[in-house]
Amino acid sequence: MSTSPNLKSNIKLRSGVSVTSITGKGLFKSFGEGEMQTTAVNDVSIDIKQGEVALMMGPSGSGKTTLLAILSGLLKPDSGKVTALGQDIWTMSEREREHFRLKHCSFIFQGYNLFSSLTARQQLEIVAQWGDGASSREARKKADEILDVLGLLKKAHLRPGELSGGEKQRVAIGRALIKNPDFCFADEPTSALDWAHGEQVIDILRSAAHERGCTVLIVAHDARVIPYADKIFYLEDGKMIDDGGKSIHKTYGKMP
Amino acid sequence: MSYALSTLWYDRQRYLPGVLAVGFSALLIALQCGLLLGLFSITSIPVDHTTADIWLGAPEVLSVDLGRPIREASLARLASQPEIERVEIYLQGFSYWSKPDGGTELCMVIGSRLDENALGKVKELSKDLYLQLSEPGTIVIDESDLGRLGVKGVGDHAEVAGNRVRIVGLTTGLKSLAGPYVFCSINTARPLLRVFPDQITYVLGKCFNPKDAATVVSRLKENQNVSAFTSPEFSLRSRMHWLLKTKAGIALGYAAALGLLVGAVVTSQTLYSATAASLREFAVLRAMGIPRWRMQFMVMQQSLFVGIIGVGLALPAVHGLAAVADYFGGRVELPIWLQSIAAIVTLTMALFSGLFALRSLRNVEPAALLR
Repeated sequence: MSTSPNLKSNIKLRSGVSVTSITGKGLFKSFGEGEMQTTAVNDVSIDIKQGEVALMMGPSGSGKTTLLAILSGLLKPDSGKVTALGQDIWTMSEREREHFRLKHCSFIFQGYNLFSSLTARQQLEIVAQWGDGASSREARKKADEILDVLGLLKKAHLRPGELSGGEKQRVAIGRALIKNPDFCFADEPTSALDWAHGEQVIDILRSAAHERGCTVLIVAHDARVIPYADKIFYLEDGKMIDDGGKSIHKTYGKMP
Repeated sequence: MSYALSTLWYDRQRYLPGVLAVGFSALLIALQCGLLLGLFSITSIPVDHTTADIWLGAPEVLSVDLGRPIREASLARLASQPEIERVEIYLQGFSYWSKPDGGTELCMVIGSRLDENALGKVKELSKDLYLQLSEPGTIVIDESDLGRLGVKGVGDHAEVAGNRVRIVGLTTGLKSLAGPYVFCSINTARPLLRVFPDQITYVLGKCFNPKDAATVVSRLKENQNVSAFTSPEFSLRSRMHWLLKTKAGIALGYAAALGLLVGAVVTSQTLYSATAASLREFAVLRAMGIPRWRMQFMVMQQSLFVGIIGVGLALPAVHGLAAVADYFGGRVELPIWLQSIAAIVTLTMALFSGLFALRSLRNVEPAALLR
């Protein structure tokens, strides 16, 4: 599925893709206490540039999702610093961080998490209206633009129960992209999809990064995502492994 | 259509218990109050079914049936008011009815003038009946009280306060509460009520312009030796007295409170579970920084819509049930103010239920989506 031309016409392009967008330094996070304590993220540092598609891989329980939650401002690290767009997000107040997320961050989760009672169009409109304070007319216009880009305009009136898994995930992506975010955090966005649909999803996210300058961080198990990433991180037991791709090769086999 | 309304319509089966609970509460409040109003409207029949604009009685009269004797000379006090067109005397009070086959029953004797334009004559007394009542010792009772008074119908005799009376006619629809109504002339009523010749119970007045009644009454109220009321005032006063005296108001309050409580619990649980079912979706919005108040506002909108739909369903049902009650001889009064109060109280209850359901949104935790 090609989305590039439409995306270009709809959404502002950002320049300077080499600018550092988000940085994590010395991040540490553990759960539990005493003997029950487990370390999920252990002294991790990470650096992602604006407009990059960064892929975070690693075996189950390696701490990838925890790291994504820390970088996205949803889970406070025990120590370390996260700088996004030049701002230290973990020294902000809860309200400031919420406002930061409102202005700059979007999320795509493993489950589609769409309101069963709302149409595809309304799933997007609700974000535009409640998030950006758009009027219902503006929200509808924006929603239809995005749905058109995602090839879903004809299904805008359908509810999640009437959409396929791939279509639902595209609606979830539309919901994330309608606010034109600086960051898009995606947790296993293709895990519930067959590869044909999964590839569509990754392609859309890649377009969002390369054409809109959105920094995309994807947590995924699926090795088929690897060719679409600009940068790959590998986590094991909470530690970032930088061995020139050997661990990735070992875990996922030969790189596609 | 708002998201709240879209959700409500799509998940209507989920919200149905809440809508029905609100409707049930509104129905309970309106119907119970209507039944009570209907019941106690019986006490104000002498006021409501006659044509006087003003009632003048003994000081601090609590209800029309609790009037005390006043001097007939009070007639002049009302008659002297410039707005008054005409006045007349009126007798009313409790007495004892001796049944032909033994036993006594409390009854309410009403003695009034009996000409065509008489102010104290109930409208149910036809010309034929009030002409017959001009014969001393004759009375008219309501057909619904025949059994209670131990008589079979027109032509029967009985005794009231030791005076022999003859039934010359029957009315319909004048049910009684404390004691059956016994309608008669002023002259017949005096011995039945055992009042002195110069004593009466009320002076009734008719204004040239009925709108002047309130002015006349406020002027008369300055004199503490009498009490004066416009007809609507006296009617309401009589009903309220019985409502409060019989503690029926307390019973009503309990029943209404219970109805509201049941409604509130079901509605709030309905809204709570409906909101809880969408926690993950709300969590996504929270992750994207959308403020919590947006979601709270949506829940409150839903509670308002649940309330409006519930009340909308209840009011026609109330009227239907009132018609059924009327058919079976009950009496339900549903003035607009009562329906409005029932609607407002129930809508407020629905909104409070919404507030209570907001606690489910406390569980919205965006980080949980990443575990």
